[in-house]
Amino acid sequence: MSRPNTGEIDPKDTARAEIRSYAIGFVASLLLTGGAFAVHLSGLSVSWKIALICAAALVQIVVHLRKFLHLSFSGEQSREDLLLVLFSVCLLAIMAGGTWYVMADLGERMHQSGMDGAPMHSMSAD
Amino acid sequence: MNEANLYPGLNLGGGHGDAHDQAENTVFGFWVFLMSDLIIFGILFASYASYRDPIGLAGGPGPRDLFDIESVAIQTAFLLVGGVAYGGVSLAVKYETGRAKVIAWLLLCAALGAGFLFFEVKDFITQAGKGGVPQASGWLSSYWALVGLHGIHVLSGIVWILAMIAQIIKRGMDDTVKVRLSMLGVFWHFLDLVWVGIFSFVFLVPLA
Repeated sequence: MSRPNTGEIDPKDTARAEIRSYAIGFVASLLLTGGAFAVHLSGLSVSWKIALICAAALVQIVVHLRKFLHLSFSGEQSREDLLLVLFSVCLLAIMAGGTWYVMADLGERMHQSGMDGAPMHSMSAD
Repeated sequence: MNEANLYPGLNLGGGHGDAHDQAENTVFGFWVFLMSDLIIFGILFASYASYRDPIGLAGGPGPRDLFDIESVAIQTAFLLVGGVAYGGVSLAVKYETGRAKVIAWLLLCAALGAGFLFFEVKDFITQAGKGGVPQASGWLSSYWALVGLHGIHVLSGIVWILAMIAQIIKRGMDDTVKVRLSMLGVFWHFLDLVWVGIFSFVFLVPLA
């Protein structure tokens, strides 16, 4: 489905656009990284810090996908790259999110049952 | 972008003829591998998050005892700039600005990657010295597995870069080399992406 290169596009123009795209990606990543570290040093409350760091990380991952890995989210992709990414992320959300949820829930229930007793050791065995 | 992208990473473009078409299948296949790699990293992230409680720490040293946030910032800078520097490689290959430039950019990437590894290994040694060895607790096992695996990836990336430099010198910029450089680019940028998750979720969140 790739369009043939008719040679009508001036390669210098595309080169400039691509350099600019990398530059935008670099500046955005720099700001998001710097922002995350600044939040760490700031005096915000713990839950705010965690929320902001997570948000900055997610935005930066999208920036990397878009600007450095050149994945398109708007369907100008001819291969199933985007589907593959979405499928992998879906699997990951189920497995990683599920693991984290199950373990956190288990941990909480064990804390409720109290005492640093034997049952707690069953958790670290998993 | 004026042309449809055939595969992840900066596309060589129609002007490269066969190499561009050949890259479609090869880089896509490599991307499938990277997505399975992503699943491995994701699961390690999940176990790290699960072990980050008093039981997982098992009385061993915790994040505040072990993590040196300054060193993490330095590593992040090395890797981020190293990742962007690969843009120079991709553009130099695409616009055929000459072998020397491609090699110079590759060397820059390798050097920045090596700088990253230097600080990471230094941290690992300091942490082990403070009793933060993998066998000390479940949390530390998952920390070493996750961050260590990423470090091994960066090391193999550097080895790959050096191998590509040798190939460029030996074979010149033929189609095979161009396709391999496209794959290496996807790999190198992917490591950067995983590191974003590591510095945020492994280092910054536990210290918040």
